[in-house]
Amino acid sequence: MAGRGAGGGGRKTRNFATFRLFPRAGAADPNDRVFVRVDNNDYNVPGFADEDPFDSNFTADAADLHSFASGPLPEHVRREILELGLPDDGYNYLSHLRELRPAASAASSFVPNSTARPEPLPLDVKAYDASRVRVAPSADDLDEGKTMCKVAAKTAPLRRVQRALDPDVARLLDESDFSHGGSEDEGLEEDFVIMANQAEGDDEVEEEEEELGNGIFSDVEEEKEEEEFEDEPKPRVRRLLDEQFDLLALEEYGDSDDDDDDRGGRDGDYELPSEAIEELKLFCDQNGCVDEDYRTPADFVRGRLESTTADEVDESANVIQKCAEYAERYLNEPAEEKETVLVSESSDESEVWDCETIVSTYSNLDNHPGKIETPGNRRKRLPRVFPGETATTNDLIKLHGKEKLPVDYLPQRKRNGEKEKKVKPAEAFNAEKVKKEVHKETKEEKKARKAAVKEEKREARKAKKELKGLYKSETQKAQKVAAVTGPSSIRLM
Amino acid sequence: MAAADVAYAPPMKSGKAGYEGGVPEVQHRIRITLSSRNVKNLEKVCRDLVTGAKGKKLTLKGPVRMPTKVLNITTRKSPCGEGTNTWDRFEMRVHKRVIDLVSSPDVVKQITSITIEPGVEVEVTISD
Repeated sequence: MAGRGAGGGGRKTRNFATFRLFPRAGAADPNDRVFVRVDNNDYNVPGFADEDPFDSNFTADAADLHSFASGPLPEHVRREILELGLPDDGYNYLSHLRELRPAASAASSFVPNSTARPEPLPLDVKAYDASRVRVAPSADDLDEGKTMCKVAAKTAPLRRVQRALDPDVARLLDESDFSHGGSEDEGLEEDFVIMANQAEGDDEVEEEEEELGNGIFSDVEEEKEEEEFEDEPKPRVRRLLDEQFDLLALEEYGDSDDDDDDRGGRDGDYELPSEAIEELKLFCDQNGCVDEDYRTPADFVRGRLESTTADEVDESANVIQKCAEYAERYLNEPAEEKETVLVSESSDESEVWDCETIVSTYSNLDNHPGKIETPGNRRKRLPRVFPGETATTNDLIKLHGKEKLPVDYLPQRKRNGEKEKKVKPAEAFNAEKVKKEVHKETKEEKKARKAAVKEEKREARKAKKELKGLYKSETQKAQKVAAVTGPSSIRLM
Repeated sequence: MAAADVAYAPPMKSGKAGYEGGVPEVQHRIRITLSSRNVKNLEKVCRDLVTGAKGKKLTLKGPVRMPTKVLNITTRKSPCGEGTNTWDRFEMRVHKRVIDLVSSPDVVKQITSITIEPGVEVEVTISD
C-alpha cells in the first residue's frame, strides 16, 4: 500500500480496485462472464476490466446511437427494429436483445400440444373422413349402387376437423368457398342436374344450378324445378313460380284431398300416389289381419280351411244373416225417442241456514279462533318464578350463548350472579376503608378477596360444565331442527 | 584453463519456463474473495483456483476460511394466529474463502475465467 496521501482528516489512500464477476448481459452462455468494477476508487488497473457497466452500450453501432441519443435512430437500426416486429417509436429496442443459447434453441422450439383436440365443426357443416375409400382405377363398371356402398363402407363421419396448419393449404381451403362458379373447368363439378334439365328441354346453364347440383343432399326438389325457369323473362317466371309455390304451400299446409292428380308425376316419389293412400285407408278400416291365404267365412263353411272350434263354422255360416240383422237395427235405432232424464233442483227451503248447521261461514283455514279467557296476566306467570328480576319488562326472551338458552330464566346462573353482585360491592367498600390500615392486613384481605373470587370462578366453571353436559343433547336436537328449518348462519354447536 | 573454467562453471539455475518472457508486467497483490451458500461448490472452485495459481507458480496464500455467517429467520408457522405456537427456524449459511496472490492482472483473469460453479460469487481486489 502506498503511504498516506491525504491529510490527517481523510481516509487512507485507497489504492485498490475491486472487481466482481458477473455474467455478461445478453449473453447466450451463462459462463460468459466479465469483471465489473464495483468500487469508486481512483486506482486504475489497466487492462483488467476492459468492460465497464456503462461501456456495454459502446459497441460499434452503439457509438452511433450515442451520438444520436436525442435525435432519430440511424436507418439501419430502425430497419432492424422493424424487422423484429417492434414499434418504430424512436426507442432503441435492440439494447434489450439477448443471444439465444445454442442448447436452448432446441428446447425452445415449437412443441405441438399433444392434448389439444381439433376444433368442433360448426353446426351447419358435416364432415366425413373418406381417406380409406379406394377409387376404382377403371372408369367402367361404375355401378352407382355398388360404388355408393363401397364409399359408405369406408367413410366415417367426423365431429371435429383439424384446421390446416400449412398457410398454403389453409389459403386453398378458404378459396374454395368463394370461387365456386368461377370457371367451368374446375375439378369437381357435378352437372348431372344440368344434364337432367337439358333432357327436359332447358338449354342454358346457370351458376346457381351448379351450386344446387353440389348440394345434392338438399331435400327440397321443388327448388330445382323453379330454377329451370329462371332464364325466361321475369314476369312470366314469376307467375309460374307463384303457381308452383301456391300449389306447394297448399300441399304442405292445406287440405290434401284436392290436388292429388297433378301432384303425382311432378313431385317425384316423396309422396305416395293417391291411389295407394286410399287403398291403405280401406285396409285400415277393414282391420283384417292378412295371412298368407286370404280367408273368407265361406271357406270355413265349405270346409276349405280348417277351423279350431265348431263355433267358428257356425258363426261363419250366420255371418250374412247377422250382418243383415245389425243393419236393420242400426237403421231403426235413431227413429226411437230418447229417454228424458229429469234432474230435480234443490228446493228453496234448503237454502236457509239454521243455527244447528252453521256457526260461521268462515273456515278454519283463514280464521283462527282463539279461546276466550279472562283478560290479563296469563303470560306473566313465567317471570314470576324469578322474583327480583328486572329485565322482564319486554316480551322478548333473549337467548344467549352457544346453546342459545334463555339466560334470564335459568336458575343457577341467577343465584351466582346475585352472590357476585352482592359480594363485590361489599368487598370494594371494605377495601377502601381498610386502605390506610396495616399493610399486612390489606395483603391478607387482598388474598382473601382473590381467593373468594377464585372460588366463585371455580364454582361458575363447574356449573357451566354441568349445564353444558345437560344441554348437549338439546343442542344436538336443536341443530337437527335448524338444519332443516333455520338459516345456515346460525351456529348452534 | 578455459576448459576448466567451462567445466567449473557454477551450475546456473535454470530459469523456469515462465521467466523466459521476463517479468515486465507489474505484479500486484490480488485478493480473490469467494463466497457462496453452497460449501461443496465453493470448495471446488477454491481447489481449482489454487491448482491453477500453483500451476502458474504464483505466490499464493492458501484459501483462508472466514467464519461462516448464519442468517436466521424465526417465524410462526401458522398463517393465522390459531393453534399451538410453533415456530419455524430458517437459516442461510454464507461461506467465504479468501485467496491472496501476487501476480499480474492478466494471469488472474485467465485463472478465474476457467473454473466456475453456479452460485459462487467471485470478487477480485487488485492492489499494488
